[in-house]
Amino acid sequence: MNVLEIRNLTKKFDDFVAVDNMSLSVSEGEIFGFLGANGAGKSTTISMVASLLRTTKGEILLLGKNIASHGKFAKSNIGIVPQDIAIYENMTAYENVSFFAGLYGLRGALLKERTIEALEFVGLSDKGKAYPSTFSGGMKRRLNIACAIAHRPKLIIMDEPTVGIDPQSRNYILNSVRKLNEMGCTIIYTSHYMEEVEEICTRIAIVDHGKIIAEGTKEQLKAIITDAKDIWIGVKSERPSAIDNLKQIPGVISVRLEDNVVKIASKGEINNLNQIVQQLIKDQIEIRSVEEQAPNLETVFLTLTGRNLRD
Amino acid sequence: MLKDMAWLIRKTLTNTFRNKRSWIVYFGLPICGIVLSMLLYGNASNGTLRIGIANHDGDQTLSQDAIRFVQSLNNVKVTMTDDEQALRSDIAAGKLDSGLVIGEGFSDALKNGNPDPEQLTLVSVKGAQVTAYVKALLQGYVGNVAAIGKQTHGDSAAFDAIYAAYAKKPFQFHTEAVKDTSNKKDMTYQSIGYLITFMLFSAANLTELILKEKENRTFLRLMSSPISARSYVLSNVAVNILILLMQIVVALFVMKTVLKVDSGIPFAQMLSLLLLFGLAAIGLSLLIVAFARSSSSASALQNLILTPTCLLSGCFFPANIMPESVNKIASFLPQHWLLDSLQKLQNGEGLGSLGLNVGILFAFAAAFSLIAIYRFARNNDTKSFV
Repeated sequence: MNVLEIRNLTKKFDDFVAVDNMSLSVSEGEIFGFLGANGAGKSTTISMVASLLRTTKGEILLLGKNIASHGKFAKSNIGIVPQDIAIYENMTAYENVSFFAGLYGLRGALLKERTIEALEFVGLSDKGKAYPSTFSGGMKRRLNIACAIAHRPKLIIMDEPTVGIDPQSRNYILNSVRKLNEMGCTIIYTSHYMEEVEEICTRIAIVDHGKIIAEGTKEQLKAIITDAKDIWIGVKSERPSAIDNLKQIPGVISVRLEDNVVKIASKGEINNLNQIVQQLIKDQIEIRSVEEQAPNLETVFLTLTGRNLRD
Repeated sequence: MLKDMAWLIRKTLTNTFRNKRSWIVYFGLPICGIVLSMLLYGNASNGTLRIGIANHDGDQTLSQDAIRFVQSLNNVKVTMTDDEQALRSDIAAGKLDSGLVIGEGFSDALKNGNPDPEQLTLVSVKGAQVTAYVKALLQGYVGNVAAIGKQTHGDSAAFDAIYAAYAKKPFQFHTEAVKDTSNKKDMTYQSIGYLITFMLFSAANLTELILKEKENRTFLRLMSSPISARSYVLSNVAVNILILLMQIVVALFVMKTVLKVDSGIPFAQMLSLLLLFGLAAIGLSLLIVAFARSSSSASALQNLILTPTCLLSGCFFPANIMPESVNKIASFLPQHWLLDSLQKLQNGEGLGSLGLNVGILFAFAAAFSLIAIYRFARNNDTKSFV
């Protein structure tokens, strides 16, 4: 059964087409990754699914019902975890969760039970009386999630829930996403961290210029790219100018530097490994290791859209 | 919808009054305004004039009678002194309101029908406000005695005979003190002027919460819940009405019961008019929020609109001291119509005769709100959500 179905969805802002005739479906129990660079149309699509923006054309069905005519039903079954932390700093953690859950009609003992449950779920049960101003970034992100799940929605939309937090909190949140999924929630997950999407999403859609340009499991997406390879070269020291020189080598699609590893996406049919290594030696970069890998999601995204996810 | 609104109202009220600053802004400042107007107009309500008299004319009958005449005046307390310098010092120090100096030869000049103004001088640092009353009555007395002197052409016996008859007061005035209500009216006018200024700023602050919610993204979460935008805005208006109502009641209570300022207007009439003005204030604040793109631009608009309009319409000082052209501009402002209504009520007109004023205040409230609603409906600003 499809929890969400989007049919020929279009959103225009004057002459600018933010979402262009998009269609997709999300089945029950999926963790659906929604990938796209800034301005690709992800947030506009999410805003329309959450009934925050009117559609220009097309329809959105939630649990088989058109949200245009069943707005209240749709909103009651969706939980939004916005990219920006949306909580009241002058209310305690408990009051925040309780207030937002109350917007969905929960009252009395049930409201109390669900509030405590949501705080326990995100590991903040002992911080119920504390104000968010005393929280770390990771704790605020967790409270942000608690406020979205206390009413037990069928579909949870998480927009960059791990931005700017420490690895420990990130792991906690990723485990929470898995746990929510196990509890029967369907999740739409957007992130700039490709490894997160690769780790937890069961199906992924890549959006560019308001259109879905690829959709499937991560294996299906990687299979699309047959003419690309990844070359990872471990180096002792980094020098940005050396990266610019590597980009001039024939076949190189992109170069980026992460934790002393030069990650190069290159066309598969061109054998340019020798040239790459020689260029690094010429630039006096000490090489520690060289690995050639099958393309990952990052390479897929880059090849399909021509830009990095973080662009 | 009502349940949703009640939930939102409860949250906004709790958050508002949890902050001590809100208590000061919504209730403390209007009370300060009333106290300030009391200080400005309160002194004028003291009905007793403190007059010091320095007599350099000795025990002459006429100078003694002049002193007795001043002493016999209502609401005048006389202090005698021989030292004119000390008299002037007391006036400068505020111990006396004014001083009367009777020069040497005053009685003789008067007897001859040629009183010299230099021989009877009134001294004050407060001007005509305190000297006019004594001066007017004293001039009447001196004028009468001088007329006797003139008619008797230096005949001392004839003067004494006529003056003795005059002193028996065959023509007596019956005087009755009439309660001076102008001071009370001024004080009320100014107190209400300050109150409505604070009401305008309070309404603007409360409506600005909508923009603040947008900025801290909680608005996005609210709008993604089953709560409608209409319920949300209406809940804000309801909170606004509730707080303005409390503000009015507290201010009027303090004014009447604690500070004993009697406005002369029945409480219910005053409350109704102020509440009606409150609706116009809320409409105006919605209008500001509808056109502002951020809370900081809303604050700038507030200052740009509210302060000058309050100034022009006479909230800070009486409108009648301003030029006619400014009063004409004030006719386009809701504050003017409220203050005008209150003045009419104080002058004895009934609420029923204020149809035009009430209608105009309603029209302001309706026009501001309708323009704001139109603007809200057309606002498709993606930055609000995306």
